[in-house]
Amino acid sequence: MDASVTRGDDLVTITDLTREFSSGGGFMKPRRTMRAVNNVSLNVPRGKVTGVVGESGCGKSTLARLVLRLLEATEGTVVFDGKDLAKQSQGEMRKLRRRMQMVFQDPYSAIDPRYTIRRALLEPFQVQGEAKTAADAKTTVDELISMVGLSPRMMASFPHQLSGGQKQRVGIARALALRPSFLVLDEPTASLDVSIQAQIIDLLETLKAELGLTYLFISHDLSLVRYFCDRVVVMYLGRVMEILPGAQARPRHHYAHALLESNFEPDPTRRKVVTMLGGEIPSPFATIPGCAFAARCSAASDLCKRERPPLADLGSGHMIACHNPMD
Amino acid sequence: MTLLSVQSISVSIGTLCPLESITFDIGKGEILGLVGESGSGKSLTAMCVMGLLPRIGGTVTKGSIVFDGRELIGLPEIELRRLRGKRIALISQNPMTSLDPIIRIGNQVDQVSILHLGLSAEAARARSLDLIAQLRIPEPAAIHRAYPHQLSGGMKQRIVIAMALAADPDLIVADEPTTALDVTIQAQIIQIMVELVRDRGLALMLITHDMGVVAQACDRVVVLYAGRVAEMNVIGEIFAQPKHPYTRELIRCIPRLGQERGSLKGIPGAVPSIVDYPDGCRFNPRCGDAQELCRNQVPALERKSSGLAACHFSEV
Repeated sequence: MDASVTRGDDLVTITDLTREFSSGGGFMKPRRTMRAVNNVSLNVPRGKVTGVVGESGCGKSTLARLVLRLLEATEGTVVFDGKDLAKQSQGEMRKLRRRMQMVFQDPYSAIDPRYTIRRALLEPFQVQGEAKTAADAKTTVDELISMVGLSPRMMASFPHQLSGGQKQRVGIARALALRPSFLVLDEPTASLDVSIQAQIIDLLETLKAELGLTYLFISHDLSLVRYFCDRVVVMYLGRVMEILPGAQARPRHHYAHALLESNFEPDPTRRKVVTMLGGEIPSPFATIPGCAFAARCSAASDLCKRERPPLADLGSGHMIACHNPMD
Repeated sequence: MTLLSVQSISVSIGTLCPLESITFDIGKGEILGLVGESGSGKSLTAMCVMGLLPRIGGTVTKGSIVFDGRELIGLPEIELRRLRGKRIALISQNPMTSLDPIIRIGNQVDQVSILHLGLSAEAARARSLDLIAQLRIPEPAAIHRAYPHQLSGGMKQRIVIAMALAADPDLIVADEPTTALDVTIQAQIIQIMVELVRDRGLALMLITHDMGVVAQACDRVVVLYAGRVAEMNVIGEIFAQPKHPYTRELIRCIPRLGQERGSLKGIPGAVPSIVDYPDGCRFNPRCGDAQELCRNQVPALERKSSGLAACHFSEV
């Protein structure tokens, strides 16, 4: 086995991961290729919450799908608990999927609208070919439903009868059905009201402690990520810009800093003067030889436009891809 | 000086009553935040002020809306049309609902000042270019010629703001103007919008669900919950000393920088559905301080030590 690939206590190790998508290529149309995830390397420590934050188009959702091999990588490897995912056969992959699950942003489209909640919660066992007696099925569903704080009365309901927060709880219960050790949470609260968002985050925290889970938490909300995550990965245009070792670490990458400065605190005594970022996020089809943020960065030099900065270690797990980091 | 005064407005759509006794006012040059979660009636309040309720089959059953000394309720459509776009402008959440996809950006902005200010095509163009530049859009002339699909979401929303400003309105109603945008773009647009509104002494009614945006931009805040006003106060008081338990809990739901893990709890339960509103205070099933009285009797919106709140037990 290739167990030696796993470093230290990382459950997932991602190395030089790239995923390309192409469009066009019809009659008289040149084929264009974009790199949604561009040479990303990061590790997900066991029992911790690793957050991935970035704006739309930064590749965070593509990354989430690559990590579970719901999408095939163009290049690079994802190693889950010592196993290189790309090398697993379909059968082996299905077995592995018991241990890695995903919670989606929109719980409504993640659950079959014709299924009752009970049936939706038993579906993972069917897929895994695990037959259950009626009594067994009842215990399992009861357990799952109470684990996520729903009332057993809801078992016979259909998804459309539930509120957004309740549906997301079902989404979480279903992801937990097969007792996985690793959950990828792709914007699990983005479609919910703030009062419900806080409930779901609280639930995810409790479950993590009770079940000893490892999370990869994808979000566009930096304040939420800083609250919930042990490490924060900042992405921009398919690339990792900075990895912050803890919630309190001060960003030193100009983009990560701009992202933090754009986040308004719920405190009128701490109003901000927003520095205007020049320009727009470049087209994902553009080939950028240097730093992806160089076109909008106030500190960009010729070097930044010419050469892509490597992800360098600043010590104690703080990684940054910048030629001129902030002080 | 009060520019817009909304007094105990109730709205019905069919047999439902989505807004009940909504009261607030906006002074000249003031930025008023209207906050609440989904289903609280924020957007409906905006439609009410714009006189657009009949378009969605709603009617105002009670109350009055006075704009600059004039009663808007019962005003004939032709009079409303003169106000809309000219003196009261709307910025909606999705800029594509305000822009025509097959007309060049410039022509759409020009139209506003041609129609409402009676400018010539040439003067309108010059005015549009000036406005576009004020919204810090690079190369105004190129943008003036472009079609909406050629611009990013943030750029389109800036154009919509330019259109709102084109006829020199007195009041701008902005319904979640930055919700569809990325955070860095949101921050810039809020900043530009606040600057322009302040420079011109305009009143802005800013509808949002984001307490961060409210804290950053507003002078005063109205908190809505399930179709009623929960609380109204100046911005400092809302955050420092909320009078309604819902306001207090809502602020606690947002993680702050450096907040300890495990301290974010949310508000139990969910916003009640309009077909199933509880008796008494509509927040009572989710409120930690609810008593028998809260379940039976609707609390009136009363003056507290500062501001107004609709709670039986707020002491401060």
